Amino acid sequence: MVEQQGRAHDAGMTWARSIPYISGRVISFLILVAGAVIMVLPFVWMVSTACKPASELQRLPVRFVPETPSCLENLNTLYATSGGFNRYLLNSGLVTVGRTIGQLVTCSLAAYGFARFRFPGRNVLFALSLGLLMVPFQAIVVQEYLLLRQIGWLNTFAALIVPGMFSAFALFLLRQAFLQVPIELEEAAIIDGANPLQVLWKVTLPLSGPALAAFAVITVQAAWNDFLFPLVAANTPETRVVTIGIALLQGERSTPYNLIMMGSFLATLPMLALFVLLQRYFIEGVAMSGLKR
Amino acid sequence: MTMIRNALGETPLARRRALWGLALVAPNILGLFFFFGVPVLAAFATSLTEWNVLKPAEFVGLANFVRLANDARFWQALGNTVRLLLMVVPTGVALSLGVALLLNQRVPFRTLLRTVYFLPVVTSTVAASVVWTWIFQPRYGLLGNALAIFGLRDVNWLTRPDLVLIPIAVVTIWQRLGFDMVLFLAGLQTIPRELYEAATIDGANRWQRFRFVTLPMLSPTTFLVSVLAIINAFQIFDQVYIMTARTSRGGVGGSASTLAYYLYDSAFGRFEYGYASAVALVLFLIILAVTVVQLRLQRRWVYYESEHG
Amino acid sequence: MTRVRRFAIVAIALLSLLLSGMVVAQEDSPTIQAQPCAEPGQLTMWVWDPVWAEVIGNAINAWQEDYCPGAEVELIQQPWEQYWDLLQTNAAGGDLPDVFNMSQDRFYFYADNDALLNLQPYWDEYGVDTTVWGTGLVDPYRWGEDGDLYAGPVNWDTVALFYNKDMFDAAGLDYPTADWTWDDFASAAAALTDPENDVYGASVYTEYQAGYANWIAATGTTPVVDAERTQCTLTEPGSIEALTFLKDLLDQGYMPSVSIQGGANANDAFNYWLNERVAMVSGGSWKLPEAIANATFNWDVVQLPKHPDTGISRPILHSVGYVAASNSDNPDLAANLILYLSSDEGQQFFAEAGGVAPANPALQQQWVDSFGDTGVNISAFVDALPDTQGVTPFAEIWDVMNTDLVINIFDLGMSVEEATQQACDFIVTQLPE
Repeated sequence: MVEQQGRAHDAGMTWARSIPYISGRVISFLILVAGAVIMVLPFVWMVSTACKPASELQRLPVRFVPETPSCLENLNTLYATSGGFNRYLLNSGLVTVGRTIGQLVTCSLAAYGFARFRFPGRNVLFALSLGLLMVPFQAIVVQEYLLLRQIGWLNTFAALIVPGMFSAFALFLLRQAFLQVPIELEEAAIIDGANPLQVLWKVTLPLSGPALAAFAVITVQAAWNDFLFPLVAANTPETRVVTIGIALLQGERSTPYNLIMMGSFLATLPMLALFVLLQRYFIEGVAMSGLKR
Repeated sequence: MTMIRNALGETPLARRRALWGLALVAPNILGLFFFFGVPVLAAFATSLTEWNVLKPAEFVGLANFVRLANDARFWQALGNTVRLLLMVVPTGVALSLGVALLLNQRVPFRTLLRTVYFLPVVTSTVAASVVWTWIFQPRYGLLGNALAIFGLRDVNWLTRPDLVLIPIAVVTIWQRLGFDMVLFLAGLQTIPRELYEAATIDGANRWQRFRFVTLPMLSPTTFLVSVLAIINAFQIFDQVYIMTARTSRGGVGGSASTLAYYLYDSAFGRFEYGYASAVALVLFLIILAVTVVQLRLQRRWVYYESEHG
Repeated sequence: MTRVRRFAIVAIALLSLLLSGMVVAQEDSPTIQAQPCAEPGQLTMWVWDPVWAEVIGNAINAWQEDYCPGAEVELIQQPWEQYWDLLQTNAAGGDLPDVFNMSQDRFYFYADNDALLNLQPYWDEYGVDTTVWGTGLVDPYRWGEDGDLYAGPVNWDTVALFYNKDMFDAAGLDYPTADWTWDDFASAAAALTDPENDVYGASVYTEYQAGYANWIAATGTTPVVDAERTQCTLTEPGSIEALTFLKDLLDQGYMPSVSIQGGANANDAFNYWLNERVAMVSGGSWKLPEAIANATFNWDVVQLPKHPDTGISRPILHSVGYVAASNSDNPDLAANLILYLSSDEGQQFFAEAGGVAPANPALQQQWVDSFGDTGVNISAFVDALPDTQGVTPFAEIWDVMNTDLVINIFDLGMSVEEATQQACDFIVTQLPE
């Protein structure tokens, strides 16, 4: 297939090998660092603004280091002004956990069904599910409200969690991942007498570690940052999630950026922690470790 | 009864597997169709009416679609959407693949760099809006100052109708990169290491390994990312909303208006919910057509380790 | 809206201001007297501002204690940015809150679709003379052939000129006075401009409310749309004159463009002023707390300059009101709560909190005093009250054309004639037939 180059074994795993190789790595590292500056800048502004006193918020030119650091003051003001910020964080946590577990169950079952079974209407049902991704939520927000109203779910946790337990995106993601799992391994389990649920649980899911990590990162993040849906579905002080709690800090005539950024920073921390924890599943080789178990 | 049985499959085994398949997909499909399919259908029905939410809806047949065909603002929004899509999707997919490949190697501070590239996904939109508006601010902004070195002074990125899509595209790519990178990183892990080893033994160089191992093995992920990126690009809304907040929402003369923005503005800004739903339906049909084409074309370039019926 | 009626308004407003001093002194005859509710019940109420949410919460507690024991009010603050979208979404389900905050520019849509409760019968029943508020404040909330008042006014804001005293001192100029004309203003702007140091004389053109509309009003022309909502006034001579006056200042380099100051919103101009890049800025009374807290230089406020020929400055007046839903289950109770919140007692909570000014005419001095001893001429805003211009009652027109107009003229170099023509072409498509 490819021309013989006579090069020695190189799994591409080790850092140093030859001069062009090293310089290639150095260049890619430099590119990554340059890109990282742009990626990190708004985040840095968020953290620095969270620590600025009100008088420093609108300075020109923009300063990233506050003259009078006021992190604790802003934190205290945030908790004093926003009635129950911890409550909002807790609500967001509940909603996120509920939706993620729900999607993990419904979407892995469905993804497995679409990836491995032939049944009438399979392609149509899959296409229709994808179709639901194609309607912007702004277009159905009123109708979604009316539906939840009709079934009496407005301002309940059920409204915040249950509709979020189903997902066309996660279905698509997991289906693509399951299609990558070597079928021979599943067939071996079937010959051993396992039913489809057992195959999914014991073979397919363990072999889809990276995809599940990606699913977790994206689903958790989406549930945690969801704004428009909770806003129309359930926005009472008891059911309020943290994104709404932060939006409430904005007045008609005033934008307390420091409090908004402090709230956003607090809300971002759990997502960052989760990413740092899960990103090791994106390290090469983990995928195949399922085989050894 | 026999008909149903035959529809499910020829043999008892095929029938049993078909029933399993249906049972497996049922919870998610039923949930999706109830909680989102019903509102979508209701919205499509709304497109045949005139409705301002305060008075009962009035059936007007296809009047909204006729109006849409003659609405310059609609065509402008469609044109902007397509332009943004062309600016955002190829660049975004290529960049996120590149970053994922680079971060899949052993580079120093890999965990930190991955986290940094993921940051835009979790950074507050308000922060993103403020900082990007500042970057593009002509006199005091980062880019403004950089361009001044080249003699380009006071470029009005966010007000000029011929330029405003550029900042919006940049922010869209910026925000999407970490998301696509996660998908690519996950996809890269599913490529068995033995394939690289075998290719190396065959004498493949780095480019050849990338071309003949990585790309085909990654194609299901690339397919996933491209389909999602295109759907996402058709629905660009937030970026328009935030980047034009301090100048003119939707751009001067609608120069930054996208279909998603236009339908939002029609509904909530001008109280024309029927008309907005017509825009949504047209947008849906366009995305659907593009996606169906992608699904058909995938057979030509997407390689699945195992597809089994 | 005739001149005669304007003078009547001025007279009434002045009179009520004069009276207010006495009224505060004689506590037995309040301007608006709260009344006990007939029957307690349940209400939901929406507000959009975090500060008011707290103030209104306290006021409601007092109402429950003093006038309506047993009543329950679920007070919900909704995010400002999504307030109107949410209101519309809930309206689709017939779920408007019983009582909610309304803005003058959004009133038309809800009133026109019969979504609001007519409060006039209640004002009559409670013996409230609705003229105490002054027409600028409540006229935009009147509806129907008899001009029934559909809202209880909460607060008002208007516009004046904020100026940097240090810059005036450095330039050796006298501070502006309430008698300044446009010409005085223009020559001061020229003298204060310092291109070397990136300092401009003034920024006064920004989007509608705190910007160009005030200058159009001073020519005697109703800004954007006439009072009868039948035609676009931007192409009328007064509008052209005001916008040309402002554009000349820009062209001569005395004012920063939209892009330079970072945006077309009043906030952007005001921040530019706070950063000492511009000497004079037109700003709303709502900016007082921010300026008092954050300005790092000496500053003061003065009424906007007068048009040289008409001799008037007529700033834009805007007021927020409480309205009730026409399909409320408890209309009587809703009206009673609104009465309380508009009454002397209910408005006390606003007057004491500072910030935006309470609508109740009896409490203006108390509001001025609430800022403490700042040395700032806060009364400039109250002094401007007698001759003000209500806002154009069309949110959709505001939002779509208002910033486009500003950017076309003050950033993209379009001529005033072309930009106003373009704006009017759009506006006429939006006016009711």
